[in-house]
Amino acid sequence: MSLSERGLIIAVDIGGTFTDVTVQDAATSRVMRAKTPSTPGDPSEAFLTGVALALKSVGAKADAVGRVLHGTTVATNLILEGKGASAALVTTAGFRHVLEIGRQDIPRAANLYAWIKPARPVPPRNVLEVTERVGPGGAVLTPLDEDSVAVAAGRIRELGVAAVAVCLMHSFAHPAHERRVADLLRAALPGVAVTASVDVLPEVREYERSLATVLNARVMPAVSAYVGQLETRLQAAGITAPLLLMQSNGGVAGAATVRRAPLVTALSGPAAGVVGARAVGAAARFSDLITVDIGGTSADICLMKDGQVALTQRGRVGVWPLPLPMVDMVTIGAGGGSIARVEDGALLVGPISAGSRPGPACYGNGGQAATVTDAHVVLGHLPASLLGGRMRLNPALAAAAVRAVATPLNLSLHDAARGILAIADSTMIGAIRVVSVERGHDPRNFALMPFGGAGPLHGCALAEMLDINTVLIPPAPGVLCADGLLAADLRAEFTRSVSSMDVEAVFAELEADAQNWLASEAIAEADRCTERVALMCYEGQGGELAVPWAGDRVATEAAFAAAHDALYGFTLISAVRLVTVRVEARGLLPEPVRPTLSPGNGAYAAGSAVVHWASGTEHTPLYDRDALGAGDNFDGPAIVTQLDTTTLVPPGWSAEAHASGTLILRRSLG
Amino acid sequence: MSQAVCDPVTLEILRGAIRAAQAEMEALLERTAISAFIREKKDFYTALFDATGQLAVGSNVPIFGDVAAPVLAAFPPAGMQTGDLYWFNDCYSSHGAVSHSNDQVFLAPVFSGATLCAFVMGWAHFADIGGLRPGSISPDTTDIFQEGIIIPPTRLIAAGVVNEAALEIFHRNSRFPEQSRGDTSALMASVALGVRRTEEILVRFGAPVVADALRQLLARTEALVRRRLAETFPVGTHRFTDIIDSDGHGNGPFRMRFALTRTPDDRFLIDTTATDDQAIGPVNFLMNSHVPGTALGLFFLGGDPAQVCNAGGANALDEVRVREGSLLQPRFPAPLGLRGLTMMRVLAALNGLVNVAGGAAPAAHSAYVILLLRGTADGHSFLMSDGVGVGYGGRPDADGIDAVYFVAQENYPVEFLELGYPVRLIRYGISIDSGGPGKHRGGCGLVREYEILADRAVLAMRIDGVDNPPWGVAGGKGGGSGRAVVNPGTPNERVLAPLSDGNVLVRGDVLLLETGGGGGHGHPYDRPADIVLGDVLDGFVSPEAAFSHYGVAIEAGRVNDAATASRRADRPVAGAFHRREYVDVLE
Repeated sequence: MSLSERGLIIAVDIGGTFTDVTVQDAATSRVMRAKTPSTPGDPSEAFLTGVALALKSVGAKADAVGRVLHGTTVATNLILEGKGASAALVTTAGFRHVLEIGRQDIPRAANLYAWIKPARPVPPRNVLEVTERVGPGGAVLTPLDEDSVAVAAGRIRELGVAAVAVCLMHSFAHPAHERRVADLLRAALPGVAVTASVDVLPEVREYERSLATVLNARVMPAVSAYVGQLETRLQAAGITAPLLLMQSNGGVAGAATVRRAPLVTALSGPAAGVVGARAVGAAARFSDLITVDIGGTSADICLMKDGQVALTQRGRVGVWPLPLPMVDMVTIGAGGGSIARVEDGALLVGPISAGSRPGPACYGNGGQAATVTDAHVVLGHLPASLLGGRMRLNPALAAAAVRAVATPLNLSLHDAARGILAIADSTMIGAIRVVSVERGHDPRNFALMPFGGAGPLHGCALAEMLDINTVLIPPAPGVLCADGLLAADLRAEFTRSVSSMDVEAVFAELEADAQNWLASEAIAEADRCTERVALMCYEGQGGELAVPWAGDRVATEAAFAAAHDALYGFTLISAVRLVTVRVEARGLLPEPVRPTLSPGNGAYAAGSAVVHWASGTEHTPLYDRDALGAGDNFDGPAIVTQLDTTTLVPPGWSAEAHASGTLILRRSLG
Repeated sequence: MSQAVCDPVTLEILRGAIRAAQAEMEALLERTAISAFIREKKDFYTALFDATGQLAVGSNVPIFGDVAAPVLAAFPPAGMQTGDLYWFNDCYSSHGAVSHSNDQVFLAPVFSGATLCAFVMGWAHFADIGGLRPGSISPDTTDIFQEGIIIPPTRLIAAGVVNEAALEIFHRNSRFPEQSRGDTSALMASVALGVRRTEEILVRFGAPVVADALRQLLARTEALVRRRLAETFPVGTHRFTDIIDSDGHGNGPFRMRFALTRTPDDRFLIDTTATDDQAIGPVNFLMNSHVPGTALGLFFLGGDPAQVCNAGGANALDEVRVREGSLLQPRFPAPLGLRGLTMMRVLAALNGLVNVAGGAAPAAHSAYVILLLRGTADGHSFLMSDGVGVGYGGRPDADGIDAVYFVAQENYPVEFLELGYPVRLIRYGISIDSGGPGKHRGGCGLVREYEILADRAVLAMRIDGVDNPPWGVAGGKGGGSGRAVVNPGTPNERVLAPLSDGNVLVRGDVLLLETGGGGGHGHPYDRPADIVLGDVLDGFVSPEAAFSHYGVAIEAGRVNDAATASRRADRPVAGAFHRREYVDVLE
């Protein structure tokens, strides 16, 4: 079966507590969701349990499965925690300390007296030099000395590492040396995972490329093993359908691709959410969105215009820069677990987080510090139990924690709670503004889509501060990643930094690579598309803009100038430099099936709660999300409850259930 | 009208909004500036000032002077309008608010209605503004007129109308007018964005609340710095002297003598009047009175997330005394171009003052190294300004930072350098044994080795701390020195004067540059042997130095415990400071 054909589609999203499985049956337009406890020791166990459960729920056999979609955080967690396989780096003679030096800076936001340089993922003792040198443009200045590779291989054997990264000077312009070194090392070091930088990031700037290669090498064994486990278990269950994995670029790719460059999954979790948000927005007929994914410790913010999810090559994972093409979003340290505290008479919120253990004080797991979630509890925003009764909240503990912040500031309990929320919101607002401006947009022209467990509590407050009048609450804000998996196409980017090379030839080469890849992923020719993108700047500038290739250099330069003017407000007479070319390959997968709501009979309140709004304390109606039908509407103040989230509809806002399942909140003007 | 009070919640929200505005300004500048100085090296800063021109939210850079004052002195606020932009680089008329002419300051007033409420600043180092040699800063200069065009405080934009003639004159004075044009556009766009954001903040919170918030931020920082000063310095006078080697014209060394006095009524005074006379060469540092307080303030703030770097640090010092005609207060028109190395020593001297009083400041760092290479290649003239990182001082609780230049400033990647300039990098790595030995090792400097591909090029070199390397403290030893050598190990080998210009290099010449490290903190014999072993394996410390300085015997990649114990049993007696030898007082 080709990938483009239909069949049952299964999406598996593994969270810290639960593994969520969604099955989509194109034939019947049915979507079923199943939930099973996660198995942190061997996540593939819950993966399979969930898949079996889902198949059973739709009464289907293993051979009816058309494809299995999955997002993995194995790479993400290893990088953030500084873990992974022990690794070595092979570099050009003279550059052993490339990682240690980095960009030679104390970060702009750091205090130079207090800052400590983060320990590199590979220490210099594990960096080996080989004799060779390629110059700018790809000229070979010193031929590769294979004896030096043999010496390095011997040393690596002594080090006993599980992975090796190879990154040689200017290899993006002349990959032969690097590939040869990688081949020699693979032959000399059986069982060791070897990564060549040109297979990860064939772009100029040796520190960033070396770092990406090292990170890739370090996560490769764990990701490979994990993907292998999934495949084995799927096969044992009789499922022969291809396994597709989410990548940071918002597309999926086959297991083989991910094994080769597992780093492409580093930010796949948030990327899946963004792709899901895009699909949900499209179903409700909104294409200009600012999405805010608020979890326990952080918030991911993304802006999409005309339904386009933009890519960036200026992303970061933890403390490390990662210039791989990835969904253009920013992550900030503000979430439900962000801790509020008083220092020097100032009220600070985040970036320190109580995490999931001990978590907010109201969880009753021993957390003493007031968190954003505790502030919500104090104000009556959250019901006494969450997750359908699986989790109870303790308002007395929340109040005690918030009071500890309120007292030194001479604030009332409720004012302190509102203050904590206002500060957390303000942090997110700042990030949203930076995201908008960097991309040349005015946030007022966008709808705001909050998601993640805590998102819908903050949506309207954020919108008010941004002067946004529409807030979209997805049908299942807590499991938007699954929607993203179902909505994603296959995607890959083929990039190359160009210096004096023939651009047309490079594009042609990259397109050939793209076609080969799409073929290897079993995409029918009719479903393949590739786009040429140029990363350009004015001669001398440090930041490139990505513009679609307009057929030739002159037309593309004109498009660049127009984009520069739109973004920054000026153009220059200087020459335009083409830094990197990129071919974006897409394999189209069938549109996901979207269930629709049946028409409603009018919204009715299922109960009420005492909520302390800024305008005063009110008995506020509670609505059950699952009971809302298409067209049902009501005015705020109100609280909407559902299994995976709670939505706050403040005074001055109204809500309407859209047929696509999205709850549309609108601000009454004036 | 009652005094508006900004509550703690609003204050924190405002602070976040101002920081976000700064981040936006910096992002715009970084992405659009043209010169490599700004785009790769990132030599730019932004700040917000209150209505009176006090720095309210700055950058984490301890070298700022009182930047708004010169504009306010020349243009009384009553005559300022919405849409104005002010510009200067005039070191002397600004009393060192900028301290060499390459730094351009753009300052715009922000109004709420008709009321002046704040100023927004964008600041960037311009690669070339004319002067004696390409790059404008050169060890050869002997007066400031040789260091490029001087812009007194000027109204560049009057209510939205740009003084294009002034800009054209400025660009015409640069050897690289396109870079000058591009960087000016970027800086102006960045400040305009900052003004817009500040206006939005004023609308959202109201001018009286914003004014009160800025006042509180200043008061909070000043209170903390005063408290820490009082905790650190007993009543009395504390003295520290640091040294720069030379002025590049055969004079030196020059001593900077700092005395900090705490009076019985808790006033804090800094006196530098015993500092040596000004130099002929361009190492004079026209030290703005805000600098010592800002630097001490940044140290005392540490990583405190509740605090911002602002004029509160400077306000915590009641008086800063300087002597006209001294290295730290030269008389016009003494040259200032390479004041960076003196500025870096001033920061080390302030650390020294804290250490003399028993406080927890780092040991000394090396001054970052700059070289300028100019010539013609493929028919185009080029200017390569390369900044090379050094080691920072060991700290009471941590090693010194290895191989960094300064706050926010990045290197030119090797591949980038080779794509853009006629040089090839042979080596770029850690300079072994350059970090001062200590329980907490000083940071190591760098080795950067270039092969020249241009037919002919002229090199300006700036290294300091060669004769007087950075000191170690509390038993820690001094850091290593830098040097620049042409064609090392060949019959044509020549060692360059550390501070010199006019060094001619030809195609095929090899320039070996080694930069200095930071001083160590604490007795090296107290550094755990396994950490010393790690330093050896990682190329920071040689096995010989591990034995001689740290008392750790390393053989075949392992610690010889017996030999180590025996060596460490005979522990050298340390002094309070160390520069080449232990001493109790550095003179």
